Amino acid sequence: MALRGTWQLQKLIVGFCDWGGSSRGIRAFMESHLPAFKASNPQLEVVTELIRGQHPHLKGLYRNKNERVICVKNLTPEEIHLHATRLRNALGRKVVKLKTRHVTKHPSVQGTWSTALKF
Amino acid sequence: MAHRRCLHVLSRHAAALLSLKTPPTLPFSTSISLKGLTPFQHRSLISSTLGPTNWSHYRHFSSNKNDDEGEDVDEDEDEETADESYEGEEIGDTVPDLGREYTLEEKEAEAAEIGYKVLGPLRKSDRVFKKYEPAFAVVQIGSHQFKVSNGDSIFTERLKFCEVNDKLILNKVLLLGSQHQTIIGRPMVPDAAVHAVVEEHALDAKVIIFKKKRRKNYRRTKGHRQELTKLRIVDIQGIEKRVEVATAA
Repeated sequence: MALRGTWQLQKLIVGFCDWGGSSRGIRAFMESHLPAFKASNPQLEVVTELIRGQHPHLKGLYRNKNERVICVKNLTPEEIHLHATRLRNALGRKVVKLKTRHVTKHPSVQGTWSTALKF
Repeated sequence: MAHRRCLHVLSRHAAALLSLKTPPTLPFSTSISLKGLTPFQHRSLISSTLGPTNWSHYRHFSSNKNDDEGEDVDEDEDEETADESYEGEEIGDTVPDLGREYTLEEKEAEAAEIGYKVLGPLRKSDRVFKKYEPAFAVVQIGSHQFKVSNGDSIFTERLKFCEVNDKLILNKVLLLGSQHQTIIGRPMVPDAAVHAVVEEHALDAKVIIFKKKRRKNYRRTKGHRQELTKLRIVDIQGIEKRVEVATAA
């Protein structure tokens, strides 16, 4: 996720619990994959937060002040890594159905055709 | 292929037969060269020499139809494109090869097949994002075609071998146009390139696929999110973009 070269994900908050069983995956993720993830994304600020008694989640804060929360309870470390990568790869835009697959500001180069046009 | 398999099976049957105690009265000698016969003649020969036979011992069918083909193909191929190997593996494997490791050549070959080439990551020093230039190109990615210009963004299916902030060259260019010139490819314009940068790999919004058959107690709900890649078109090469100063009319 990079708009014109600038990364859009600013902060990733990894919330976990040290007692709960649903946080087992994310605790393993923090040991195994998180250092590599941090190293490959130096522009990203990764924060680990202890939230006792709650299910674990990944919170992503984007440049357009948008926040995306993914609950990662009972997931394996590989799946959590996939979700973290997805957060990093995305722009902060709202997830809506695409109107068109081609977004442009200049739709015509040689002039728009009309029935009155004479060559 | 079926012809060869037929002969193969029949030759195995014949070999099994010859090892059995054959009946004394035979119209032909048993030492027959198999290669000279067509399968039809061969089959009729076998049926004429023996009456009702118990074939059950001598039927060695391969477990997978593809085994025969796989054995034949493996001798020739080194590292062919992934399409052929997919066809061979799909029927045998139950697990899709999600964690499949591609070699560099395979990656490049597949990427070129779809219509793009990865140049490398975008560096801070690269000044790729230019002002709008009045030129367009019709480019093909996979099976979709887009009419692109400088500064446009395009959503395509997930491009597998590129990361976010990578520079790409889209080489399947079918038409180039500027204000005073159009270059039409047959079907592709050679030496034309469109440069793009990968902006994001994201999932589309969820679509619910709902199936119902009325009065039959049948209802299914499935959610689907398509994986997309957003590309930002940066440069079009292969056509003169300068707006020519019109001569005095």
